[in-house]
Amino acid sequence: MTWDWSYVLQILPELMVGVCYTVLVTLASSAIALTGGLLLAILESVSTKFGRAFVRFWLELARGVPALVLLYFAFYVLPEVGVTLPAMPIGIGVLGIVYAAYSSEVYRGSLITIPAELRDACVALNLSPYVTWQRVLVPLMIKRSAPALLNYVLGLFRHTAVLFAIGIPVLMGEAMVAADQSFRYLEPFTLAGVIYLGMNLPFLYLLSRFKVKYA
Amino acid sequence: MKAVLEYWPAFAQGLWVTVWIAACIILGAALGAIILGALRLSETLAIRVASMLFIEAIRAPSGLVLLFWVFYVLPLLPGMPRLSPLTAAILVLALDGAVYGAEIVRAGIESVHRGQSDACHALGLTKLQSFTSVVLPQALSQIVPAFGSLARGMIKWTSIVSFIGVQDVLYVANFVRGQTYETVTVFCLLAAVYWILTVLCGIAFSTLERVLPLNRALRASRASIQAGPELNASAGVAS
Amino acid sequence: MLSSAQCSPSGPSEAAAAAATNATEAAGSAAKSQQAMWSIEFEKVSKSFGAHRVLVDVDLHVRPGEKVTLIGPSGSGKTTVLRLAMTLAKPTSGDIRVFGESIIFDSAGKPLSNSQEARIRRRCGMVFQQFNLFPHLTVLQNLILAPTTVLRQSREQAEKSALEYLRMVDLEDKVHAYPAQLSGGQQQRIAIARALILKPEILLLDEITSALDPELAGEVLDVVRGVAHELKVTLLIVTHEMRFAREVSDRIVVFDAGRIIEQGSPEKIFTNPESERTRAFLQSVLNH
Repeated sequence: MTWDWSYVLQILPELMVGVCYTVLVTLASSAIALTGGLLLAILESVSTKFGRAFVRFWLELARGVPALVLLYFAFYVLPEVGVTLPAMPIGIGVLGIVYAAYSSEVYRGSLITIPAELRDACVALNLSPYVTWQRVLVPLMIKRSAPALLNYVLGLFRHTAVLFAIGIPVLMGEAMVAADQSFRYLEPFTLAGVIYLGMNLPFLYLLSRFKVKYA
Repeated sequence: MKAVLEYWPAFAQGLWVTVWIAACIILGAALGAIILGALRLSETLAIRVASMLFIEAIRAPSGLVLLFWVFYVLPLLPGMPRLSPLTAAILVLALDGAVYGAEIVRAGIESVHRGQSDACHALGLTKLQSFTSVVLPQALSQIVPAFGSLARGMIKWTSIVSFIGVQDVLYVANFVRGQTYETVTVFCLLAAVYWILTVLCGIAFSTLERVLPLNRALRASRASIQAGPELNASAGVAS
Repeated sequence: MLSSAQCSPSGPSEAAAAAATNATEAAGSAAKSQQAMWSIEFEKVSKSFGAHRVLVDVDLHVRPGEKVTLIGPSGSGKTTVLRLAMTLAKPTSGDIRVFGESIIFDSAGKPLSNSQEARIRRRCGMVFQQFNLFPHLTVLQNLILAPTTVLRQSREQAEKSALEYLRMVDLEDKVHAYPAQLSGGQQQRIAIARALILKPEILLLDEITSALDPELAGEVLDVVRGVAHELKVTLLIVTHEMRFAREVSDRIVVFDAGRIIEQGSPEKIFTNPESERTRAFLQSVLNH
């Protein structure tokens, strides 16, 4: 089988649609993951036993069960209990939830390395807990977690390929559709691989910037 | 529930496939990680750069994209064999694990203090001797926990193999769901199976961690340090 | 404390084994080393890291059995001298010889092969500022690692001599302890025993008390005093302990900015130095 450029040109627009969906899903899911993770970390730090157990459960779910299984679960079970959603929000939600658990661990890690003296200082200044969190602790947590979080966003981006399983037209899904229609596998899958590779570069660049900054 | 349980032989078969794949790819990844990690720290610049590019190229597309490429495209290239779904799955996932593991190995080796290899040199040990008896045993204390959580992740990676027709536990679950329409039961069961597998894997690695030489040494010294204050404390109570 | 060291491990079997391992070179190099005037020689040695010149044209000749202390401000290149002698670093130019044999070039002027370098390197031992004990091994395992792997001694033989050297540094009760269970002073004494067990002819001591509290430094210096007195080993010492340097050394060498600015007997250097910079340096450390 030889490489067919005219076929490449023919499927390229479809693959580009896939790229758009991939970017969209990555952005939306990471927004959920990063804010959700932060909330989970704060919840774990301030809360009672119950809150902690909740966070713990969430984390175990994300760590112990493949995202694909959770995806199928949400996709097939939600309609049964009367919630009918299109595939897009389900996919975004599941990836967001899984990565929220991972990023909560990162936030938690940076929270416990903030020296206790800093909190003492906030108490000494009579800052309310809300102000302490909002103006001091949260900004510090975000700043310290940034490189590790970026790594997880990169992982999330790589993970979006599985969303084709519930019919979301991410890049992988578009490549699959093109391949199935024409029975040509060489061009769609190779292109998809190369495009995925290329989409990594901005992440790698940012990560190397962080490395320089934090080294 | 009962209808689902009637399919237990199929589940057992699927579970066996999943466990088998997981075991193969974790072992394969460990082996590959040590080799790639060592290449990554080679003294020759060309080898260092080449291994780094290889690692990034494998890591960049997700395992899924790689799997489809190896399964569908690789046989089309001249001289390449047609791999069975199982072989392709094990090959791709082990390779993916190896490149993630290589970074763990590299970081672990670099975490060993420079003075350790200086001391080996001063004692006349060869590079290989100093690596095997001094640097690696200490690096393992960093490598094993990190590799353990990678291995936990790798068990979850196996879930994608059903896309190319490997009949793992997820494949069976989808089949049973189609037969019984007991979606909730099937997927809860499936989630529980994966969770238990990852927990078992975690336990295996933390057991391994306990027997590492450096950890044994640290435990011994911690025990002797704790013994001190305890004596003082009891003396305080007595007075 | 040290009396046992002299009568310690030079069994005939071991000497035979050592001779057998390098049977071919043995004859030639033995003849050469007997006529060698110097245990270690630096000839026009320079070392640069990038644009930074750490050593500049250093000439240093040490007689067998001589105790030489290198002093000078930090960053003056003293430690680099020891690291070069131990082949932990390679000089940018110049030659270094150990008992007449170059540790840089072979007789044809080409860089030494690893095995040739390893054979010559065996005559040197080094003790480090940060001890560098192997934290995952017990004291005994730390001591026998090199004898069993490098000298290929049997385990029993190595353990026997390890115990003798542990007695010499007065720590035989710590055989099975891990380094982290010991005080800094004890760790450094173990490190000295670990270096001596290979019976080096030249021992390099690199700021061995700098990482220790003053009260722990004393016990380490006591051990070194014993070694200096009773073993016929050449000592090359880098230290900031001036009283100790004065007491054990045959010669003091003063470094500044990568060059030797002055050398002589301890009496002369400490009471009547020629160089103004030596005087300034001594004043700053002694008044400290």
